[in-house]
Amino acid sequence: MTPTRMSRRVFPAIAMIIGVAVSVMVMFAAPPGAAQENGQGQGRPGDYIAIDGKVDQGTYDGYIAYTRACLACHGPDGLGSSFAPSLIKRVQQRTFSEFSNVVAAGLQIQPDMVMPSFADDDYVLRNIENIYSYMKGRAAGDIGRGRPRVIDEAQGQEPAQRREEDASAKN
Amino acid sequence: MLREMKYAIATIGLLAATTLQANDNQLELQSNPEYWATQLGNYQGNRYSQLDQINRDNIGDLRAMWQFSTGVLRGHEGGPLYVGDGRLYIHTPFPNKVFALDLEEQGRILWTYEPDQDPRVIPVMCCDTVNRGLAYADGRLFLGLANNTLVALDAESGELLWEASNGDHTKGETNTMSPLVVHDKVIMGISGGEFGIRGHMTAYNAETGEMAWRGYSNGPDKDVLIDPQKTLMMGKPIGEADLGVSTWPEGEWKRGGGAPWGWVTYDPELDLIYYGSGNPGSWNPQQRTVDGEPADNKWAITVFARDPNNGQVKWVYQKVPFDEWDYDGVNENQLIDVEINGEQRKGLAIIDRTGFGFLLDRETGELLVAEKFAPETNWASHYDMETGRPVVNEEFSTFRQGVNVNTTDICPTAMGAKNMQPSAYSPETGLIYAGINRICMNYEPYETEYVAGQPYVGATLTMMPAPVQEGDQEGRMGSFIAWDPVEGEVVWKTDERFAVWSGALATAGGLAFYGTLEGHVKAVNIDTGEELWSFKTPSGIIGNINTFQHQGKQYLGVLSGVGGWAGIGLAAGLEDPEEGLGAVSAFAALKDYTELGGVLTVFALPDA
Ligand code: HEC
Repeated sequence: MTPTRMSRRVFPAIAMIIGVAVSVMVMFAAPPGAAQENGQGQGRPGDYIAIDGKVDQGTYDGYIAYTRACLACHGPDGLGSSFAPSLIKRVQQRTFSEFSNVVAAGLQIQPDMVMPSFADDDYVLRNIENIYSYMKGRAAGDIGRGRPRVIDEAQGQEPAQRREEDASAKN
Repeated sequence: MLREMKYAIATIGLLAATTLQANDNQLELQSNPEYWATQLGNYQGNRYSQLDQINRDNIGDLRAMWQFSTGVLRGHEGGPLYVGDGRLYIHTPFPNKVFALDLEEQGRILWTYEPDQDPRVIPVMCCDTVNRGLAYADGRLFLGLANNTLVALDAESGELLWEASNGDHTKGETNTMSPLVVHDKVIMGISGGEFGIRGHMTAYNAETGEMAWRGYSNGPDKDVLIDPQKTLMMGKPIGEADLGVSTWPEGEWKRGGGAPWGWVTYDPELDLIYYGSGNPGSWNPQQRTVDGEPADNKWAITVFARDPNNGQVKWVYQKVPFDEWDYDGVNENQLIDVEINGEQRKGLAIIDRTGFGFLLDRETGELLVAEKFAPETNWASHYDMETGRPVVNEEFSTFRQGVNVNTTDICPTAMGAKNMQPSAYSPETGLIYAGINRICMNYEPYETEYVAGQPYVGATLTMMPAPVQEGDQEGRMGSFIAWDPVEGEVVWKTDERFAVWSGALATAGGLAFYGTLEGHVKAVNIDTGEELWSFKTPSGIIGNINTFQHQGKQYLGVLSGVGGWAGIGLAAGLEDPEEGLGAVSAFAALKDYTELGGVLTVFALPDA
C-alpha cells in the first residue's frame, strides 16, 4: 500500500473555494481543533513523513508539483533563483494560510518580479498542501535535494497507518 | 562581394523594387565593418569584426566610457545594434522596452518604447523573461515581444508602425528570439517547448506585418512545407511522406514541441535560411514511443534549410532522433566556407547542445564532421557518419533505464554543453570561439499529462559539474574554447567557475571576447586563450559583446543583467552527489557573486 494523506482528499473542495474568494483562506489559520492537537505527521498542512530521505506519497507529489509549476522561478529544490526567493527559507516564516494565499492570489511588489496567481490552475491548487509539506521537509533538513523516493510498503506501513487513523478521526 | 550578393538576390526575380530594399539595406550595412547591424554581426552568424583599433597591443587601456541602467531586473540577452546613425538601439527583457541612446552624449535617451503587455505571459516563459534582441532594416526596428506580438518601430522616432500576432500565450507560446530580416520579410520563430506547443517559423512582410508563410516543425508535410520528393535528408530526397506524423504516437505531434527559438542565419548566395528546432514535446521519452519502441519524433531537434521566399524546406538534418535528454536543438548554424579533404565546401558549423561539434554541407545538408567539443559528453559514443545518427550509450539512455528510474551522470546536462549563447568565427584563424557549459545531470522521467498552457515536462533532473579532467580548474562549470570545425578538435580552452552564458566576439585585433556569469567582460588572445583584459560589470552577463566604430572610434557594447536558465539553475549552486542531507552545496553558488539588474556598458580606448 502506498501511504497517502487523508487531508489531501478533503483539500480539493477547499481549493476550489480559493479560486473563488481568496479571503476564504483564513480558514487555514484556524484549522479544526482536533487536528491542531495532533503531533508530527498527522495530516495538517505542512506535515510530512520522511524516513531516511524517503517521503510519503503526498510530499512526493508536492515535489513533482513544485518542479512542474514553481521551479522555473523558485529554482531547483526550492533553493531560490536569481529572481524569486528560496521557498525553503520562506516557509519557515509563513503559515500555510499565508503560503496558499500567495499561491492563489499572486504577489507583485516590484514591477517585474511577478509571482503569478495560480487560482485558475486546478493541478497546483490540488497540490498546494503537498508543496507546503515538501518545503517544510526541506526546511527541516529531512528532505535533501533532488527527487525523493516514496516510502515503500515495508518501511512505510507504520507511520502511514497511524496517519490515516488520525486523519479519519478528524473527519 | 557586395555586387555578387546583389546579383544573387536579383536572380530570385519577381521581387518588386520595394521588397528588395530591406535586404539590400541590411546587406549593405553588414558589409560596412563599422556597423553592427544584426545581432550576430552578419547573416552568416559569424560575430566577427574587421575592426582592429582595439587590439592586443592596447587592450590593457580599454575602459568603460559610460553605463546605462535599463531599469529592468530580469536576464538581459542579446546586445546593442549600431547602424551608423550615431545611436545605439537596445532592448530589455519583459516588459520589452526599447531605447535609442545617443552615442555622442553618453547614452542620452532619444526615445523610449514601452509596450503594454499582459503579465500573465511571464509564468509561461520557461526560463526567465529574456529576449535576444532587435533586428533592423531600412529605417525600421523589429522586436518580438514576450506576448508574441511582433512589432515594427520607426527607428527615427520609436513610433509603432505595425504589429502582428505570432502566437498564443494561453497555449504556452511566447517569444524570446531575435527576428531576422531577409528580403522583404521578417522571420520569426516561437518559444514554448516546455509547454507542449507545436513549433513554427513564420515570415511577415516587413512593410505591412502581413503573414507570408508559416512552416511547422512537426505534422504533415504540407504544414512543415516539405516535399518528400525534393526535400533532402543526408543528401537524398526524404522519400517517405509525412514523417512528421508517423514518427509520433497517435496525435502527439500536435504537442510535439520543436520550438525554433534560437538564431536564424542566412546565405544570400544560396538564398536559404538556416535554424534548428527544439526538443520534442514531453521530456518523458516513453510518451513519445510508437508501439513501445523509440520513434524519431520528426522534425524536433532538426536543422532546417528553408527558402525564405516561400518557406519550402530544401533539406533537413535531425541531430537527435527520439530525444531522451532535452537536447533542444536550437543552437546557431554558423555559415563558414571551409576546405575539407582538399575540397572547398560551403559549410555549416554547430557547437551543439549535445556536446558535439557538427560540420554540414549547407547546400545539401550532408554530415561532414561530428566530434565532441565537451570531452565529458557520454550520452552517445559517436555519430554514425553513414546514417547521421548518434550511437546512444545504453547506460545513459533515459528510455532504456525507464520511467521513474533515475539515470545518473549523463553528460552534458539538459542545459546543453552550449545553450543559446552565440559563438564567433574568425575567417583569419578558421576557428570557432564559444562559451560552453561543463555540467552533467541525473534525469528521471515521469508520466505527465498535457494541459494547454501548463508545463508539459515529464522529467525531473538534478545537475552537477562535469567530472574534472587533467588540467581542469577544480569545480569549474564552464569553459571558453577555440574549436577547429574541420578537424573536429579543441585548439585551446580556458576554464570558468560558472557556465559561460554570453555570446562570443572575434575581431581582427587578434582578440576574442566573452562575458562571465559573475559579470566580467574578458578579452583573450585569439591564438592562445590567454586573458589580456577584464572588466567587472554590475551583474552577470548572458548578453553578447558587440563592437562598432563611430567617428573613427571603435566601441564595445554589452548588456549585463543575470538571469535566463543560468540564473535559475546556478543561483543556489549545483548538487554534490557526495553531500549529506541538508548540507550547503560545495559548489559555487551564483547568488554569492551577482544580483539582478540590466546595465549597458560601452567601452573604448581613451583619447590619445
Ligand atoms: C513566474 C515566476 C514564478 C513562478 C512560476 C512561481 N513563483 Fe512564487 N514568487 C515569484 C516571485 C518573483 C516572488 C516574490 C514576489 C515579491 O516578493 O514581490 C514569489 C513569491 C512567492 C511566495 C511568497 C514568499 C514569501 O515571501 O512569503 C510564495 C509562497 C510562492 N512564491 C510560492 C510559489 C509556488 C508554490 C509556486 C508554484 C506553484 C510559485 N511560487 C511559482 C515568482 C514565481
